Amino acid sequence: MKEQLILIQKDCEKSCADISSLNSLRNQSILITGGTGFVGKWIAEMICYLNEKENFNIKLYLLSRNVELFKTEVPHLAKKSYVNLIEQDVRNIYEIPNDIQWVVNAAGSPDSKEHSSQPIKTIETFTKGTTSLFESCFRLPDLKKIVHLSSHQVYGKINSEKPIDEKQFGSLDAYNLNSIYAESKRLTETYCAIYRNQYRMPIIIARPFAFIGPYQSLNKHWAVNSFIRDGLFGDSIRILGDGNTVRSYLYGSDMAYWILSMLSNGISGECYNLGSSERINLIELANKIVNLLNRNIKINSKSSKESYDNTSIIVPDLSKVFNQLKIEVNIDIDFALMRTIQWNKK
Amino acid sequence: MKNILISDPTLRDGNHAVSHKLNLKQIAIYCEAANYANVPIVEVGHGNGLGASSLQVGLSDVTDRQMLETAKKHLTKSKLGIHCIPGFATIKRDLANAIDIGVDVIRVASHCTEADITQRHLGYIRERGKEAYGVLMMSHMAPANLLLEEAQKMENYGAEGIIIMDSAGAYLPSDVTEKISTLVEGLDIPVGFHAHNNLGLAIANSITALESGAKILDGTARGFGAGAGNAQLEVLVAVLIKMGYKTGIDLYNILDASDIAEKEIMPSIPVIKSESIVSGLAGVFSGFSKHVKRISEEFKIDQRDIYFELGKRRVVAGQEDIIIEVAMEILKNKK
Repeated sequence: MKEQLILIQKDCEKSCADISSLNSLRNQSILITGGTGFVGKWIAEMICYLNEKENFNIKLYLLSRNVELFKTEVPHLAKKSYVNLIEQDVRNIYEIPNDIQWVVNAAGSPDSKEHSSQPIKTIETFTKGTTSLFESCFRLPDLKKIVHLSSHQVYGKINSEKPIDEKQFGSLDAYNLNSIYAESKRLTETYCAIYRNQYRMPIIIARPFAFIGPYQSLNKHWAVNSFIRDGLFGDSIRILGDGNTVRSYLYGSDMAYWILSMLSNGISGECYNLGSSERINLIELANKIVNLLNRNIKINSKSSKESYDNTSIIVPDLSKVFNQLKIEVNIDIDFALMRTIQWNKK
Repeated sequence: MKNILISDPTLRDGNHAVSHKLNLKQIAIYCEAANYANVPIVEVGHGNGLGASSLQVGLSDVTDRQMLETAKKHLTKSKLGIHCIPGFATIKRDLANAIDIGVDVIRVASHCTEADITQRHLGYIRERGKEAYGVLMMSHMAPANLLLEEAQKMENYGAEGIIIMDSAGAYLPSDVTEKISTLVEGLDIPVGFHAHNNLGLAIANSITALESGAKILDGTARGFGAGAGNAQLEVLVAVLIKMGYKTGIDLYNILDASDIAEKEIMPSIPVIKSESIVSGLAGVFSGFSKHVKRISEEFKIDQRDIYFELGKRRVVAGQEDIIIEVAMEILKNKK
């Protein structure tokens, strides 16, 4: 485990392409809501790197409903003197420390299992959680910026082979149970617009696409997680649906660096895609995993349809991110897969 | 040539037909025959699935472990499958052990409107790297749009395919077309159909399902299953061959397996009895047939009256105790 944690710190170093771009965060206090999930853990790792290798002296607050879980899962982070755990439900935040200057709102699960089984709670966590946080932030004396994590799902269904840019919206069927997450995220974006306009709060929106890396549970049923899990522990890798479906995956340390860059350099009122532009279809992804596992394992495809009229392609256009923030993908899919498999073999 | 996945629940659904009394020798004999015929999945267990042996729905003479270990020994090519209803089957007590024994395919079932209960079981099966399917039982009781929503939940929970069961043998081909087409259109994962033969339509409905886009079909030797039985596997295979579908099952060997099943495991071949027709018309779960017969004799009531009343009450599997309540009410009204 210790070796794995050293590798994570090396990943953070690799992702930090331009340390000086984060200088505005030196000697500052940052709050992460949903701080004990994948995003929170990776930002904590990145701040650990920045503080211990680059003397940033950042004070980190992680707000979560279950801080004990964080202490159990990542004791090496929980024990750091600059990591402060706040146990509160994001839907009912009653007080946050006055010295917080920067906020990342990452509360709420992207897991579709939870959305299906607890739809009302899902919507409340996103919507009430966002307003509750913003009301608390409004009272902070020295608030500098909020990065609100939305989702690429707000773009809806886009029948295009081109990468999706921040202004490109497709259709979304509101009267559909599978729209719970997307509609919640859309509403929270509107809340962001309202609080930015009426309260003049410095809010920017990041729209995450797919992530990969250590700290992401293999029990999420997204394609890459299922492929790695079935490859490691099962008899075969099963591609469900259209194998030509195209996705892209941003590695955890890149994601953390990008979010901190958006916090430091993003312009209030702007939206930014948060994801990799490296396209890969599910068949290629499964084959890469099989090669990395070095196991004699079959790949099976299962689909309801004989053919698909439109192949689903969900990949971000990163022109705006490159142009405005000068950040780019530092860890490619091959390295990301290798590290994720290595982590999950432990 | 299109591939169709066949799952054979002779040793599970058939257990309903013998009040869950299939013994280990019978399981061994049929598994060997089905394995020899290249049946892709052989489903084994109590009629109501894993962990269901109970006073309420019927006690098995042998344990789940004994059944699964016996089956596993005789299935070298075929995958071993089980039916699993959360509530009857718990994860720690039942599912974990079944997977340890070597079960390959697990079909997690719920009433057609209650997919929520399958989340943890489906999640656990995928965590263990096994094949997980969602099953919506009594699917005639829900309209197509609601079935799709429940199926989408199962897909989100990790199901790799959705099978709808015509548990009461109540479907007409037009119902099958509507429901299977809706699921195929709305899901990414394969859709399957499990027929019962109360109205003599099991094979016709299975073929209609295929023509509507289904890729998984259930069939049992001689139709051995609850009530009027299921789609007759050897007939289904023959029809599929004639239609140009590919199942991987050897025709001669599945015919032999059916002969063996008839001789070794069936006290009688399922036929469409009068009460089965009524049960199909009333939309009552075929697994109720033994209980309804017993209680109607006990209370000296026409079992057809019981079926129609049960149909009005929209009873589902697991509510077998309501049969007595219905019988008492019919008796009271007669007086």
